[in-house]
Amino acid sequence: MIGKLLSTDLLKMRRTGIWWVVLIGPVGLAAMQALNFGLRYDYLVRGRYAADPWSGLLNETAMFVPIAVYLAMTLLMAMIANIENKQNSWKQMLALPVRRSQVFASKFLCCLIQLLAACALLSVSTAAVGLALNFSGPIPYADLLTFGVYPMLASLPMLGFTLWLTLTFRNQAIPISLGIAASLMSVFGASMPEVVPLAWPALVVSGQRALTFMGLGVGLFAVLYLLGSAHFSRKDVA
Amino acid sequence: MTEMMIETRNLTKKYRGTRAVDALNLAIPRGEIYGFLGPNGAGKTTTIRMLLGLIKPDSGVVQIFGQDLRKDRLRILRRVGSLVEYPSYYGHLNAIENLETSRRILNVPKSRIDEVLHTVGLTKDAKRHVKGYSLGMKQRLGIASALLGSPELLILDEPTNGLDPSGILEIRELIKRMPQEQGITVLVSSHLLSEVEQMASSVGIVNQGRMIFQDTIPNLQRKAGSEIHIALSDAETAMITARELGCFPRLDQGKLVFKGIDNDQIARLVTALVDARHSIYRVEERRKSLEDLFLTMTGGGSSDAASADDTIASGAPRAAGLRREAAQ
Repeated sequence: MIGKLLSTDLLKMRRTGIWWVVLIGPVGLAAMQALNFGLRYDYLVRGRYAADPWSGLLNETAMFVPIAVYLAMTLLMAMIANIENKQNSWKQMLALPVRRSQVFASKFLCCLIQLLAACALLSVSTAAVGLALNFSGPIPYADLLTFGVYPMLASLPMLGFTLWLTLTFRNQAIPISLGIAASLMSVFGASMPEVVPLAWPALVVSGQRALTFMGLGVGLFAVLYLLGSAHFSRKDVA
Repeated sequence: MTEMMIETRNLTKKYRGTRAVDALNLAIPRGEIYGFLGPNGAGKTTTIRMLLGLIKPDSGVVQIFGQDLRKDRLRILRRVGSLVEYPSYYGHLNAIENLETSRRILNVPKSRIDEVLHTVGLTKDAKRHVKGYSLGMKQRLGIASALLGSPELLILDEPTNGLDPSGILEIRELIKRMPQEQGITVLVSSHLLSEVEQMASSVGIVNQGRMIFQDTIPNLQRKAGSEIHIALSDAETAMITARELGCFPRLDQGKLVFKGIDNDQIARLVTALVDARHSIYRVEERRKSLEDLFLTMTGGGSSDAASADDTIASGAPRAAGLRREAAQ
């Protein structure tokens, strides 16, 4: 059933421009670093990061990952929910023989697939930047693969919250405002106390007990997801 | 006993203390087109949403196909097609893609899409983006997607709302064909009695969340009754002539008004009146319109909905409605 729902949801995304967001986000981030490293080649590649230009590139890019992930979650979920919210298609969708918890799950999976696709694209396009700039040294495959996904996992509580807000309320101004605020605040994540979930992606990026904060992120997400799903399954559909 | 497709018992839904639906008992037998009638805000849509499991009743039971909706929601919904209020659609997709989104969930063969598009007459526009459709076409697409799963029960909420006369006619003809051609039972809600009268076989009238009348359309029409009005030169002396024949009219603006009078009596009466040298200007039958009956039952409603053809008959309920409004 969940497979059918997922294929339906993916069909509904045709011509909505959602996949452009998935493409432009990571590619844009890599392009920014290409510019940064290309223009300041002598200073950055031959000077500051001469010893290990690859980790220089990864570190510079990783600084922007938390803000990008928060923005992506907000934007993608708003767009996914908008497909149903726009013409209030919920009433038609939920009058079909479907379990509401599975509808909720399918929307989450859509967003997760897109976030993972964006992370993969970030890995590929960042690698392309390094190769194009002729970086010396071995390509750090493991770091390239994880430097997007790890902060993303630590940011998941935001998705849990946004998932519920966007799918439950027709007015998308609130989740979008909150998402933008969160992404802006995440820039200062490293200087926030550890108990604040907004700090977790930045803490993962800085490499301090990355595993702990990823685990916390996934754990808190699970709680928020279950609460959101339970409410979505019970609420009256207007 | 006929099999009931939909049965509700004491269905109740409260919104902030007021009862939007109040102990409603619906009974819809197989093969009927059931007109679910009531003024705006009477609780029709709320009821329909409860029938589809979109909202949960505060109390009461919904049984569809004899099964409890709370227990067998998925199995019931598989056999129900629905269109709730204004159409829901995905504007960025074309008609085929719109139907495909439901088809994948209903798990019916792809050929059903062509079939239902043909049924509602959208084959030609199937490849266009739905956001460019007229309201009538969107509504027909909504009906197409309701029909997609070959349902046994079709629940349509205000399917002709906002359509032009030709659109209304098309939808009406479409709905009327359902029980005959495909054996589908239809529940169709409307706030227009004339519309329900033209397509439904039985009717339930709901007002302020309560069912106030539930019966067949012929029985409703019988309840409305008819009167014979005779306009003539001297009504007062004519009254005496009529009484001698055993008819007891009432006098109304120089006209004689007879209730429950058959053809024979009218013929004898007219002969007698002509013999008594009355000039007869007009003999006409006036049905107390169903609109009036509806307004009487629902206690007024909006005054512009009242038919203007019979001032006496509709004057009373309208005045009653106004009084009620004034009291609120």
